[in-house]
Amino acid sequence: MAANTTPAGIDKEQAFGMAETEMEYRVELFNRLGQTCFNKCVDKRYKESELNMGENSCIDRCASKYWQVNSMIGQMLSAGGRPPM
Amino acid sequence: MDKNMLAGLEGLPEEDKARMSSMIDHLQLRDRCFNDCVDNFTRKALQKQEETCVMRCAEKFLKHSMRVGLRFAELNSQAATQD
Repeated sequence: MAANTTPAGIDKEQAFGMAETEMEYRVELFNRLGQTCFNKCVDKRYKESELNMGENSCIDRCASKYWQVNSMIGQMLSAGGRPPM
Repeated sequence: MDKNMLAGLEGLPEEDKARMSSMIDHLQLRDRCFNDCVDNFTRKALQKQEETCVMRCAEKFLKHSMRVGLRFAELNSQAATQD
C-alpha cells in the first residue's frame, strides 16, 4: 500500500481544497498587513521614493503587532482551540 | 541592525522578488497612489508634480511590500516552529 500523508478521513480533494483556502487566506493576510502598516507608518507626502529609517522600524514593528493581533483573534474565534497558524 | 535588514532586501534572489511582486495587489497600489497624489481636475493631462508623486508613491509602496514580505516570511516560520 502506498504511504498516505493526508490525515485519516480526509481525501485528496478535500486536502487540496483546504490548502487552496489556506493559500487565499495567506495572500489576503499579506495584503491587509501591508495596507495597514503602510497607512500607519508611511508619510503620504511622498517626498522621496526611499523608505527612511523611521519608516523601516515602524513597518517591522507594525508587522509583528499585526501578526500577534491576528493570532489572538483567530484563537478567540476558534473558541480557545488550537492556534490557526 | 537596520543596515543588515537593508542588505537582505537588496540581495533577494530574483525568484523571491518575482513571487512577492505577484502577491502584491496592483489594484490597491494604483488606487492608493491615485488617491494620494491626484487632486486637481482642472486639466485632463497629469501635471508634472502629480507624475513625480505617483512614481515615488509606487516605488515606495513596492519597497514597503518587499519589506513586509520579508517580515511576513519570518513571522510565518516563527509561528510554524511554535506549533
